[in-house]
Amino acid sequence: MMDSLHYFLISWFDLQLLGLIALGTFAGIYVGAIPGLSVTMAVSILISFTFTWDIYPALSLMVGIYMGGVYGGSRTAILLNIPGAPSAIATALDGYPLAQKGEAGEAIGISTVMSFVGGAIGIAVLAIAAPAVSEFALRFQPRDYMLLAILGILLVGSLSGESLMKGVFAGALGLLIGAVGLDPLTAQERFTFGIIDLWGGISFIAVMIGLFGISEALMQLHHIDKLAIKQAISRIIPSWGAVRKYLPLSLQTSAIGVFIGALPGTGGDIAALLAYDHAKRVTKNPEVPFGQGAREGLVAPESANNAAVGGAFIPMITLGIPGDAVTAIIIGAMFIHGLNPGPMLMIDRPEMFWFIVGALVLANFFMLLFGLTGIRLFVKIVELPRPVLIPLILLLSIVGAYAVTNSLMDVYWALGFGVFGYFLKLYGYQVGPVILGVILSRLIDENWRRAIISDREDLGRLLWGTLSSPLSAVLLASVILIFVSQTPVWGMAGRGWRRLWGRK
Amino acid sequence: MHDKTRRLPGEAAFSLALLVLSLWLTTIAFGISGFEALSAPGTFPLAVTAVMVITSGLIFWRTARLPAASHIRDWREILPLRVVGMALMIGLYAVALQPLGFLPTSFVFLTISIWLLGRTSPLYALGISVLSVAGIYIVFRLIFTVLMPEGVVPEREIIAWVQNLFSGSPK
Repeated sequence: MMDSLHYFLISWFDLQLLGLIALGTFAGIYVGAIPGLSVTMAVSILISFTFTWDIYPALSLMVGIYMGGVYGGSRTAILLNIPGAPSAIATALDGYPLAQKGEAGEAIGISTVMSFVGGAIGIAVLAIAAPAVSEFALRFQPRDYMLLAILGILLVGSLSGESLMKGVFAGALGLLIGAVGLDPLTAQERFTFGIIDLWGGISFIAVMIGLFGISEALMQLHHIDKLAIKQAISRIIPSWGAVRKYLPLSLQTSAIGVFIGALPGTGGDIAALLAYDHAKRVTKNPEVPFGQGAREGLVAPESANNAAVGGAFIPMITLGIPGDAVTAIIIGAMFIHGLNPGPMLMIDRPEMFWFIVGALVLANFFMLLFGLTGIRLFVKIVELPRPVLIPLILLLSIVGAYAVTNSLMDVYWALGFGVFGYFLKLYGYQVGPVILGVILSRLIDENWRRAIISDREDLGRLLWGTLSSPLSAVLLASVILIFVSQTPVWGMAGRGWRRLWGRK
Repeated sequence: MHDKTRRLPGEAAFSLALLVLSLWLTTIAFGISGFEALSAPGTFPLAVTAVMVITSGLIFWRTARLPAASHIRDWREILPLRVVGMALMIGLYAVALQPLGFLPTSFVFLTISIWLLGRTSPLYALGISVLSVAGIYIVFRLIFTVLMPEGVVPEREIIAWVQNLFSGSPK
């Protein structure tokens, strides 16, 4: 217990780490507030600059950016009706009408406080649940890991994009990119085309910078002429009465946020939309109708998306399966620093877990502090002209790709994936599943092979083993259910069922 | 931006290209170990590429049957000149980065792109890029100690000279 507390407080009493968390949170709010610049982009570019650092400072910066970035998206959603990040889409629905009524300051104030509440609940659940989940996960069979990873890719593919097919394609593409190089078990070449440089595989950082840095910057060139609208900001710190009034709703939607965040592959964006829906259902008589500036419509998504941050860390730390794209990148960084997220991490390196929890708590406090005090500054920063911002992002992407191994090969990969990612986005493919696929490729491949070898290469035995274990059976059923629910078969079955029901 | 009920210019060709790519990758995956064993190194890649073929095939079939987007006629709306220009610029930047070094290439890249994208005065672009390159250099190279290609600028000598200047012990 004392040890855990000691690890928890590492970042609190180290000035360098404290400063990095503050810097990360500040940068995260800033990046999150700029429409088109996502937290994933910020983490993927900055991560490449932290490879030479120790793991503690590197994690401090990333945790800060993640926490700040998820919150920062609400700024532009409220002020400009442009969500700065996907997790703030629901925030814009009622936040912008509030701003139009001249209540932008109050809207930002209440969303900041509720983000803090959500963030705190997410972290508390992480601290309580992760050790238990981790212990439970020790009993997982290889097939369970494989099914969980597939579930993660399917979830992110089906829920965040416009079609399941495109999501699954993107996920499979990521799995394939992750499989390039020498096979870890037999050292046989896979997709290397005889090129020795490909033996080690395609750099995960290069793929990430290409898809989230370069391609997003290129996409932003479409909106280069859009001007920021200036808003007058009045009162910021919300009244105690308002906080007390909305606290119950905030607690409920935080619970939704943590749960959705903890599902592999789903993050703050889906949590926020579900929370908004929940708020609409439970608020019987809102003072102002939803969509026209209901404060409940602001409280719900903002609590949920920050609660999802703590939630997303649960599968990441306990199972090594990312909760969303940002945690996928953090897993990649941990691998490079020699750490192996999964149930053994809690046993071998408990200090890492408690350090992350401590850093998240600090980042949450910094978010509240910067959110309530630096508002005018942030409004100014968001007005930074895009013709300056976009070349800077492109430049940092290239330098970031170069910095990891000091090789131009990674730069060319990043460029290639940047251009490819531009077309993927243009034609409605999500790039999130690609990065999840790259991270999970090895996990699925290795666990599939372990599972089938332990069942003596007998597919029937593997299937029987899966069906006779409650956990594996539930996971398999979830995978099938998610897949089928996105196909026309589901609709047909539903109609058939209703017809049958109607006849009775 | 993407409307899934309408087909954008080039969308069918792109989905066809993905299908062809997937088919080609499947043949390579098959070449790794064929159907040797379920735990063979080629099984996972083969399964993954098979999924890619099926999904890209379905996507192509659906895309090809969609009505074309009537409001977008011009290729330039899909691929504006500035996107092509910036992609080329960033490619040139990457090529020149190692031989010429971070400082001169970044300076030239930023000045030209800010000037062209913002349609501002060259002097404004020049000023902003000097400030930005200096800022990035100080934060990433000096504080974060990230290695950046030196190229033609004798950076180490300059840094040593500045350090000597401040320490007051010229040698």
